[in-house]
Amino acid sequence: MKYFSSDPAAEPASVLYSRCTVDLKNGEMRFEDVPCRNLEDVLGGFGRSFQILAERNISHAYCEENPLIVNTGLLTGSSAMTGMRTYFSGYSPIKASKKGLPAAMWSTGSGNFGAKFKWTGLDELIFEGRSPKPVYALIRESAEGPLVELKPADHLLGLTTHEKMMVLQKEYGSDAHFAAIGQAGEQWQNVYMGAVALSTDNQLKSGEDKMRFAGRGGMGSLMGYKNLLALVARSSDKLKPLTPEVRNVNINVVKGGGSTRLQPISRGGGGGTWAAYDVLQVFNAVPVNNFRPQGNDLPEKLFRERVEKQFDIKSQACFRCGITCHNNIHEKKEDGKSGRFLAKFDYEPLNLLGTNIGIHDAGQAARLIHLSDNYGMDSISLGVTISYLLSYNERHPDKPLLNGATFGDFEKIKELIDQTALGTLPEIGRGSKLLSESTGETSYAYHVKGLELPAYQPETNPGYAWAIAGGHMSMATYGLLTREGKSDMESWVRGITVDKLQIVGFDMIGLCKFFDITKGICTQMVVDCLKSEFNLDVTTEALAAAVRRAFLRGLALELRQGYQKDEYTLPAEVWERPNPNIKLPNITTPDFITELQKRVWEIFEPELEGLLPEA
Amino acid sequence: MTLTIQLVGVFRSGRFNDAVREYPAATRVREVVDELGIPGPLLGIVLINGIHAGIEDILNDGDTLCLLPFIDGG
Ligand code: SF4
Repeated sequence: MKYFSSDPAAEPASVLYSRCTVDLKNGEMRFEDVPCRNLEDVLGGFGRSFQILAERNISHAYCEENPLIVNTGLLTGSSAMTGMRTYFSGYSPIKASKKGLPAAMWSTGSGNFGAKFKWTGLDELIFEGRSPKPVYALIRESAEGPLVELKPADHLLGLTTHEKMMVLQKEYGSDAHFAAIGQAGEQWQNVYMGAVALSTDNQLKSGEDKMRFAGRGGMGSLMGYKNLLALVARSSDKLKPLTPEVRNVNINVVKGGGSTRLQPISRGGGGGTWAAYDVLQVFNAVPVNNFRPQGNDLPEKLFRERVEKQFDIKSQACFRCGITCHNNIHEKKEDGKSGRFLAKFDYEPLNLLGTNIGIHDAGQAARLIHLSDNYGMDSISLGVTISYLLSYNERHPDKPLLNGATFGDFEKIKELIDQTALGTLPEIGRGSKLLSESTGETSYAYHVKGLELPAYQPETNPGYAWAIAGGHMSMATYGLLTREGKSDMESWVRGITVDKLQIVGFDMIGLCKFFDITKGICTQMVVDCLKSEFNLDVTTEALAAAVRRAFLRGLALELRQGYQKDEYTLPAEVWERPNPNIKLPNITTPDFITELQKRVWEIFEPELEGLLPEA
Repeated sequence: MTLTIQLVGVFRSGRFNDAVREYPAATRVREVVDELGIPGPLLGIVLINGIHAGIEDILNDGDTLCLLPFIDGG
């Protein structure tokens, strides 16, 4: 980035970002310094990529005109804690309107790739077209600025995410980090839920497959379509010396309370997202067997206190991050020492490839998560599409689909995952929306607008309907009923239209949402970081306005891609077969949803004018 | 007065799962939380008799107080 003003909100064009556009068809490249159009462009991430996507009319995700945009946020690679995010954006193969048009989508992950990418001197890399042969892209620093090269990748074909990274690490050594797809992304025709894996320091040093993922929306499949198997970012580390201001912010992030619950239990923290199991179980709201909690203690089998008797749980972190939110599960040897790494236990994959498909054995859940990660699939879309199939088979014991798998049948579920990743089960690989449309039984397909739900019961979160890129990462209403006890219309209208949409700010600026999940990015902490790192004067009000515009632009783009208002809803089973076991007020009656839709659109609709370029 | 205290998740560690305990009349939730040494930033949800409540709410004889950690998504 180049800064010729300290006031990017008033003078965005005085901030330039470094972009490379690669035509994969012929290898041509264009490097340019692009003036920002607005504060969203300056902040980066989806705030910028969605403006690029809005300039294109795309009617099919797998077409040459659909770009894959890889970028970072303003604070990626900075000394602000959690500043490690990379963003992948494009029109999604899996998220599509009923009209059949693909939705614009972004996905993001941590790991060290983002910082390395930024340190090469590049802020954004756009891949156009499609390579005739498998390639990977090397992005590296040079005395003349960032360089990008396309390299043959036949030797990477058929390898898992982790194996690809290990091969590339041998070639590029310790100064490089990697983003890679697995076999699933390579099978893009039949797998729409391919993820992009991002390497971590821990992984490259230990050789254990401890990656992070940009999973949602099939950006790994889009990468596969483009015949682009991996990215290598090679650069020396360029962390600036920590200033007193950023040091204070970082201390506040770790010690000030905002991230305490994500930190290890041994340090007095809450132990990461896994803790949601215990909390949601009190309300019988842990998804079980395709989002039908039964009011029993089955979910408790994957409670941390049970799992740690059997396995060794290591609290680990991305490089430099004091939050240390990863819970990595290792075998426990007979002498009590730590053995082989098995899988990461974050709440979402654990539930959706565990309890929600009837798997209550931690070792089996670990195996499925491990497979999903190594094949490079979005564990949320994969888990929910499988749970739909299992639910269908339970309802049709005489005419089951595919291999006839049922809830809890580990071997058959594993077989489904293997076959899906290798491209022989498009029924699963293309997601729950298409599968349910093919069976004609759509009411218990747990997706909203074509994207599978994360592991929060929809009965607790009608805000899912307005999430623009996945239920929990782009609309933070998942705790409004459960945590805050809000069941009145006013709270929900305000939550969706004012407060909780602000979570998407993290997907612009380059920070993890765990930096300060309840307050978002419109805080003095972020203002202090921007001043200290780049001498930028930005107010919290300007940040809030930019985040809101970016969110609304996402909503406007959905409408332009054919979404109708009646698609802003929940899976119909929620009100057709209300679950009496959930111990929370019912806020998903048809009346409540209808009123909520009316009130939310009354607020959003007038603001959507003028956010997209003229068609 | 007699209260039933239920703890969830990490709050159980080094404490108890549930217990019936005696407190002075008009005890507030905050006083129970402090007495149990539960760190403020970790406390996410307070339920009194199964209903969401606040940290400053006053408890009554026979109440069941349930303390739950914060959840963060992800
Ligand atoms: S909060 Fe977690 S995912 Fe984010 S940078 Fe820190 S350790 Fe990595």
